[in-house]
Amino acid sequence: MAGRSLRAHLLRMLLPPIALALAIGALVSYFPTIEPATHAYDQALVDIGLAVGLHVRVMQTEYRFELPAAVEQVLRTDRFDKIYYRVMSPAGLEIAGDPGLPAPPGDAVAHNTIYNGDKVRVVSVQSPCGRSTCTVLVGETMVKRERLARELLLQSIFPELFIAIATLLIVWFGVKRGLQPLARLSDEIKSRSAGDLRPIDAAGAPEETRPLVGALNGLLTEVSAASLKQQRFLADAAHQLRTPLAGLRAHAELALAQPLPEASRAQVEQVHQATVRTARLANQLLALARAEPGARSLTSLVDLKSLVEGEADLWVHQALARDIDLGFELAPAPVEGDAFLLREALANLVHNALEYSSRGARVTVRTGRSESGAFLEVEDDGPGIPLAERARVLERFYRVPGTPGTGSGLGLAIVREIAASHGATLAINEGMGARGCRVGITFPHG
Amino acid sequence: MRLLIVEDDAPLASGLQRILEAEGHAVDVTARGEEAVLAASQEKFDLVILDIGLPQMDGFEVLRRLRAGSGGGPMPVLVLTARDAVDDRVRGLDLGADDYMVKPFAMPELTARVRALLRRSQAHGGPRIAHGPLQLDTVARRAFLRNEPLELAAREWAVLEVLLARVEKIVSKEAIIQAVAGWGDDLSPNAIEVYVSRLRSKLEPAGIKIRTVRGFGYMLEEFK
Repeated sequence: MAGRSLRAHLLRMLLPPIALALAIGALVSYFPTIEPATHAYDQALVDIGLAVGLHVRVMQTEYRFELPAAVEQVLRTDRFDKIYYRVMSPAGLEIAGDPGLPAPPGDAVAHNTIYNGDKVRVVSVQSPCGRSTCTVLVGETMVKRERLARELLLQSIFPELFIAIATLLIVWFGVKRGLQPLARLSDEIKSRSAGDLRPIDAAGAPEETRPLVGALNGLLTEVSAASLKQQRFLADAAHQLRTPLAGLRAHAELALAQPLPEASRAQVEQVHQATVRTARLANQLLALARAEPGARSLTSLVDLKSLVEGEADLWVHQALARDIDLGFELAPAPVEGDAFLLREALANLVHNALEYSSRGARVTVRTGRSESGAFLEVEDDGPGIPLAERARVLERFYRVPGTPGTGSGLGLAIVREIAASHGATLAINEGMGARGCRVGITFPHG
Repeated sequence: MRLLIVEDDAPLASGLQRILEAEGHAVDVTARGEEAVLAASQEKFDLVILDIGLPQMDGFEVLRRLRAGSGGGPMPVLVLTARDAVDDRVRGLDLGADDYMVKPFAMPELTARVRALLRRSQAHGGPRIAHGPLQLDTVARRAFLRNEPLELAAREWAVLEVLLARVEKIVSKEAIIQAVAGWGDDLSPNAIEVYVSRLRSKLEPAGIKIRTVRGFGYMLEEFK
């Protein structure tokens, strides 16, 4: 979206019409004002013409014009313009004045023309002389008229210009203000967690953004439906696997309980181990599906201590079978979370500790509260995880090279996802005395 | 003991049947909920192993009908499920299931739970508790080990009774203290350790083992 500013676009769209409106507005207000002004100036010239006309005398067949120098000076005096005049007999003969001053064409009483290289306004005045009328032309250069025209133009343009600039400013800042609901909308979307696919509340959104919110909500609904469908499929598939696996396991264990030839026994044992592993994998896939962002989570207040106590029986038997000293240091650790997922995270951590520790090892499960929040921790004194591998073991299906056993490499990835879906942090450290491994999940307060 | 397995997955049902028969029980199997309800109304079973995911009438409904129609005393029900949703578990227990197992499970785990349920329902009927060579007469408050009278102090007796009620399960020190604290004065976890160690010295020669689960409690192991 870089470079596609809505404001700039809007301004580009608005500028030509505003400029045009400005020009038209200026013209429309200019002409009505220049008309009376021109008329007034023309009237002054007519007055001069009438005054000049009074000085024509008719002597039988001859016209005489006598104008005292003082009067002529008064008539010709103007602060800005040069004034010309020309007196003609009824027959059109030159009587006096500035010869060659052009008369208005036809019946017109006034016109603009060029005289002595200047633009001049010339009016024609009919003045009685004897029984006939003489024509007096009075011309004036156009300095003050043009100045007036300029002033009038400026006067009419100023308010228009002001309005135009104001309009542009309003657009510039108004667009930003007007787009605030959109900014709020994007803030709301940004502040969401990745898994939050709830529709956006359209009630508070302004009318214009409703279609956008509607479209977004439509998309969110579809995405969440698709993700729900996928999770449901994964969960159903994992659940469906459990019954046949239970049957397989029952028969494998039944067979192992009977006397078997040594070769067959090894094979049945393989089948049994594979079954147990597959069952575990089904559980892990289920946990992954449930921990996925957007999954429907069943959040409630869970005490990690009670969770551990509820599962401890199962682990103790596994630990006894491997001659591992499994111990507990449990203090209340209430968290908001999905009990199934937390149980699965716990099961994975304990399973890892039991799986990768040798006979006679010591594994300790801890829960409690520290300054940073409620925590859950499993420590063993097994081989530990080298520093360089600690980030990689969190990847799905990654196993530390040379690791014995038959893990899927999903365990810690699942624990990480479950921690993430609870807003908790997962940390892998050495155990006591820099031996073994200590994996902890800390749930922030709140 | 007479057991009824209600499970529609044939391989699993036959596996369970053979394992439980090997334990010395008489086992009937049905794949349909309706048949299970009918069978239970006509005959008495000591334990029902009930799958929740049955076709047509599901396990919850079977459980509800078994509980509604049980006139002949308590019939323990162990529920099996392929689902692990918390509400499934709660619903099953609300409807009166006595225990709950999520598939797939280890057979020793299943047989241990079956034994525990049977023992518990037997205990309802009689005052005697047996654990391998150990016998407790809860009415007369007398204990016998290999048929020889066994001297137990009152608190040792109380601790043993708690552990015997939950064989193969960890019993936390708090739970033991609560069960024993009927005598009034405060009991420290250390005191419990003393009673357990006395019990051990009396029972271990006969092969009865009490495991310490570090930081948690004790577990009376299944007698082998």
